Amino acid sequence: MSELSDNVVSPQMPTLDPAFGLDRWRAYDWQLIPPEPTPPLMNMALDEVLTLRVARGERAPTLRIWGWTGRCIVLGRFQSVRNEVNETAAQANGVEIVRRISGGGAMFIEPEGAITYSIFAPEAMVQSMTFPESYAFFDAWVVEALRELGVDAWYAPLNDITSSGGKIGGAAQARRGGAVLHHTTMAYQMNIPLMLRVLRIGQEKLSDKGMRSAEKRVGPLRQQTARSRDAIIAHMIEHFRHRHGLTEGAVTPDELAEAERRVKEQFGTRDWIYFLP
Amino acid sequence: MHGEYKTPNGKLIAVDFAIAGGKLRDVMVTGDFFLYPEEALTDITGALEGLPADLSISEMAEQVRMAMPRDAELLGSSPDALATAVQRALAGEQDRPEADREQDPA
Repeated sequence: MSELSDNVVSPQMPTLDPAFGLDRWRAYDWQLIPPEPTPPLMNMALDEVLTLRVARGERAPTLRIWGWTGRCIVLGRFQSVRNEVNETAAQANGVEIVRRISGGGAMFIEPEGAITYSIFAPEAMVQSMTFPESYAFFDAWVVEALRELGVDAWYAPLNDITSSGGKIGGAAQARRGGAVLHHTTMAYQMNIPLMLRVLRIGQEKLSDKGMRSAEKRVGPLRQQTARSRDAIIAHMIEHFRHRHGLTEGAVTPDELAEAERRVKEQFGTRDWIYFLP
Repeated sequence: MHGEYKTPNGKLIAVDFAIAGGKLRDVMVTGDFFLYPEEALTDITGALEGLPADLSISEMAEQVRMAMPRDAELLGSSPDALATAVQRALAGEQDRPEADREQDPA
């Protein structure tokens, strides 16, 4: 992480009934895909492939925790490479540039620095909710899990998980054929000097932030809990299981093969990555 | 030309274009906004393409609004924010980063 566009000082959302929407979660048999080191391009492709499988009813609703094989910048669907990335610095530091299918902002990722998860759900689950409501709905369990770990976290609309210690993470959604992909990246620890070298943080982006520095506006989880990254992930999974139910699962060989194909056809192509140069 | 506008407590929208014969050409709209469906970006960009550069912000915003599909949702930004970015580009206040400028590796 991370995107530096957060609402750290936004007013807290009205407190939702803790049971809000629980019946919607519990109407499905949730499957877990545990973290495994995965190349950045495969992470992009798997999110699309699994969303479409849930849309077609070929896969149960799923929680996937991401793993990474290397450093990367994940651009939002509508971002310009040149406006967001210093390509020379990225290349010099072994930072791959990839583009995801959802909108939102660029994230600088190092494998042990981020906690990323995807939720693949039938669109019926968020029926009659506005987009902003659905963002808060899909991350409510994580906010609870973080609070159980002693982090003073809350949801800051539209798409941020934040805390009194600074912004923790951001979410993005894409919708495909009756399924929702909701994915969120949280900062565990940040390499801010390298992040500032590879991401361009323009003045306009900071225009409504006062003049607070990047360091002060983010609150990586390592600063806020004594837990290891693995321990936080384990707690998140346990909380999800307790709240919604969750069965161990895996990406199937067929899904993996399809994702590899999608990397070749789309996600790894210059046409996709530089779709907005 | 390059212009940007960040909606307070929202997202950044940026626009790049050239001017030919007093009209906007080669328009590219980018940013960290959310847009559903994603394909509506083509409609938004297309609305600006060929537009006279001397339209007001509200006239440009109206062109963008009319070009968007009825069910499209632009979150964190707006047609008015985009039109403001166009006006800023025309005023020449903001530069796009150079293609391969090396930032100070502090």
